Amino acid sequence: MAPILEVKNISKSFAGNHVLEEVSFSVEAGKVHALVGENGAGKSTLMNIIGGIHQPNAGQIFLDGQPVAFASPLDAMKSGISLVHQELSLAPNMNLAQNIFLRREPANALGLIDWKKLYAGTWAIFDRLGLDLDPKTLASKLSVSVQQVVEIAKALSFDARVIIMDEPTSALSEKEIERLYGIVDDLTSRGIAIVFISHKLDEVFHVADQISVLRDGHMVGTVNTPETTRDAIIQMMVGRELDAMYPPKSSAVGDTLFAVEGLTRSPYFEDVSFALRKGEILGFAGLVGAGRTEVARAIFGADKIDAGNLTLDGKTVTFSSPRTAIAQGVCYLTEDRKTLGLFLKMPLRANITSASLWRFVSGLGVLRERKIKAETRRYVAEMEIRPPNDELLAINLSGGNQQKTLLAKWLCAQPKVLIVDEPTRGVDVGAKAKIHADLRKMAEAGIGVIVISSELPEVLGLSDRIAVFREGRLTAVLDGEQASQEEVMHYATR
Amino acid sequence: MQQDKNVPQGSATATIAGNAPGKPRGWFRSLDVGSMQQVALVAVCLLLGILMQLYFPRYLSGPNVEVMLTNFVTEGIMALGMTIVMITGGIDISVAATLQFSAIVVAMFLKAGMPVPAAIALALLLAAGVGLLNATLINLFKVHPFIVTLATLLTLRGIDLVITGGTSISGLPKSFTTIGQDRLFGIRISLILFAVLALVIGYALKNHRYLQQAYFIGGNRRAARMSGVKIERFVVFAFVLNALLAGIAGIVVCAQYGAASVSYGQNAELRVIAATAIGGTSFSGGSGTIGGTVLGVLFLAMVYNAFNMTGINTYWQDVAIGVMLLAAVFLGEVLKRRRITR
Repeated sequence: MAPILEVKNISKSFAGNHVLEEVSFSVEAGKVHALVGENGAGKSTLMNIIGGIHQPNAGQIFLDGQPVAFASPLDAMKSGISLVHQELSLAPNMNLAQNIFLRREPANALGLIDWKKLYAGTWAIFDRLGLDLDPKTLASKLSVSVQQVVEIAKALSFDARVIIMDEPTSALSEKEIERLYGIVDDLTSRGIAIVFISHKLDEVFHVADQISVLRDGHMVGTVNTPETTRDAIIQMMVGRELDAMYPPKSSAVGDTLFAVEGLTRSPYFEDVSFALRKGEILGFAGLVGAGRTEVARAIFGADKIDAGNLTLDGKTVTFSSPRTAIAQGVCYLTEDRKTLGLFLKMPLRANITSASLWRFVSGLGVLRERKIKAETRRYVAEMEIRPPNDELLAINLSGGNQQKTLLAKWLCAQPKVLIVDEPTRGVDVGAKAKIHADLRKMAEAGIGVIVISSELPEVLGLSDRIAVFREGRLTAVLDGEQASQEEVMHYATR
Repeated sequence: MQQDKNVPQGSATATIAGNAPGKPRGWFRSLDVGSMQQVALVAVCLLLGILMQLYFPRYLSGPNVEVMLTNFVTEGIMALGMTIVMITGGIDISVAATLQFSAIVVAMFLKAGMPVPAAIALALLLAAGVGLLNATLINLFKVHPFIVTLATLLTLRGIDLVITGGTSISGLPKSFTTIGQDRLFGIRISLILFAVLALVIGYALKNHRYLQQAYFIGGNRRAARMSGVKIERFVVFAFVLNALLAGIAGIVVCAQYGAASVSYGQNAELRVIAATAIGGTSFSGGSGTIGGTVLGVLFLAMVYNAFNMTGINTYWQDVAIGVMLLAAVFLGEVLKRRRITR
């Protein structure tokens, strides 16, 4: 079957940096083609070129066999290629119809909008997708997952024939992901081609007919999903075999280091109790929205609690703010590194020391630059941050290296208890393994580590014990060695 | 499967229809934040009107209402343009300086013997030029509009002083001052002009596809660009329109007094921004309506007039406006937060 969209020998460089070299790629009608690769492999650049956001330095794009060139995203959309971005792109105070038909509103000769036609057109698209949505609803009233569906509706309104979805599930719950799969099935049955970019290989294997792997700006290969395995894909992505995906579990677990009793913050979570032992990794499993992040934030003093006791090293403690929690050695690494974790426009050095500046001041409150330099350089080396330069701005690093920086920031604060929330979200496979190994090393060094993760394999692979949350309650604590995915899901869902 | 009731802020996954199910809500609570603020503003205006009327029966009399509104007609005209600029996420603090500039140049042209229509047209062209300059600098250097328009403000004030030598220009022809002083059907022409401008711009902002882009630029700039919105071009449009309206306001004020002076429009930009913000236009962009702005202007006009009438030292006027602005911003924030956590 002839492909709808074909990309031939595309090359692109930014400021002399080759991001894509001679990349070719094609998509067939009614098929889902997944594009995978580590961060920085060039996936986004390739998609941005196809979507008209960037223009290639060399190479050609063919649509139905005809060469095309897109000067702008609107150009690409008009030709039937739509990008559904990872970051949502609806204007919050505009209604759905206005958002979907932006710049193409039906209007009279004076440019005044024909509202009837606008809403009718929107109804028609929602009908096609089987959506029970009112076109007059403001975008800000919708949840993230519904906004994403609206973006897909927007793509359909252009009579899209190729829809590119960039990490479409990163903000969705399991249930919403199921619905997205349903929509993808529906679209392909109408002959629309889907390009599916994802970090989550489980998803890719579930949804894709074909998988293409990019590595360092080169196309490593394209395979049919039934003819390949997860390990084979990982090997193509990293170019080497990952012998052990997860570090070995703990051998020596000590006494209780930190205990939580009856922690409540309604309506987010209720009566949560658990104990964390020295040298262990405790996993928090559960669906998105089960209250795990809320528990962590409350322990850290970022949110008020209604009831509950915290005991650290046998002594009762209360944290009225993150500042008091950090001072006593309880730290929380956020799931939202760009807004709550890093100071993006500041150098790595300032980021790494940002939670522990008190350690680097002399008597009069003057910062001791030399000590700061020595320590941050040590962290950059230990965490294998690339490029190894602590004067770079955080914004210039890849996701994996930003995450390593964040880990260094909290290590620098010398925690007794470290809660890490989605430590490998949006991180490439190589950095992921490194972060897993580092978390285990911290536990071995006597830090109590709590890992919150929505990736079941990660919780299972990493944790010595697993606390499962469901709808704001802790429903079970399982042994990390013996627990299975099914068992965790049993306690995580009703 | 789960039905999260413990969702984090702003991500109600429960129903696809958006409005979370639950308690039935009154009509007030079903409004969006901007409309809530406007309803509150109407209530405050009514309350102020009733109270003033009880103690000062002249307050809502025809002649006093005319004075009340006429005193704020220039701020009103400028606030229309400011609303659009602020919806895009911008700000223009050079409007009062532009008003002054336009008043002075139109007076100079008239004194030089230029026919009235030509003098007005040329003055408006110059005013629009100020807006074009602002927009070009903003687009070219990617500088925040605040800084660019601050520079324009200072420069224009200086130019005004230089060309007038600090003295006022008077003795303008009757055919010109008519605009500011005469009535049509018993209503001042300047007020009719404001009403027409407000209706046209308000209607267009709601219904014209080009103007709607303002909300997308202010609400999600990156996404607007991705959807093919030409942001730079719209910035030019918004700032030129804004400066043009300031120019019109300058001509109105010049005709009102039959003279032009560098003392016109002192701090007017602050009152204009205050009225727009009190009317519910978000400072960070993405929301706001002309209706709200008109209410904000009306409110300021009523407060200033009330001060004059009660005989309280008028220095307190600005204190009152400042407090009311804080109250409006506070109210808006409270409403927004309740909306999110509910």
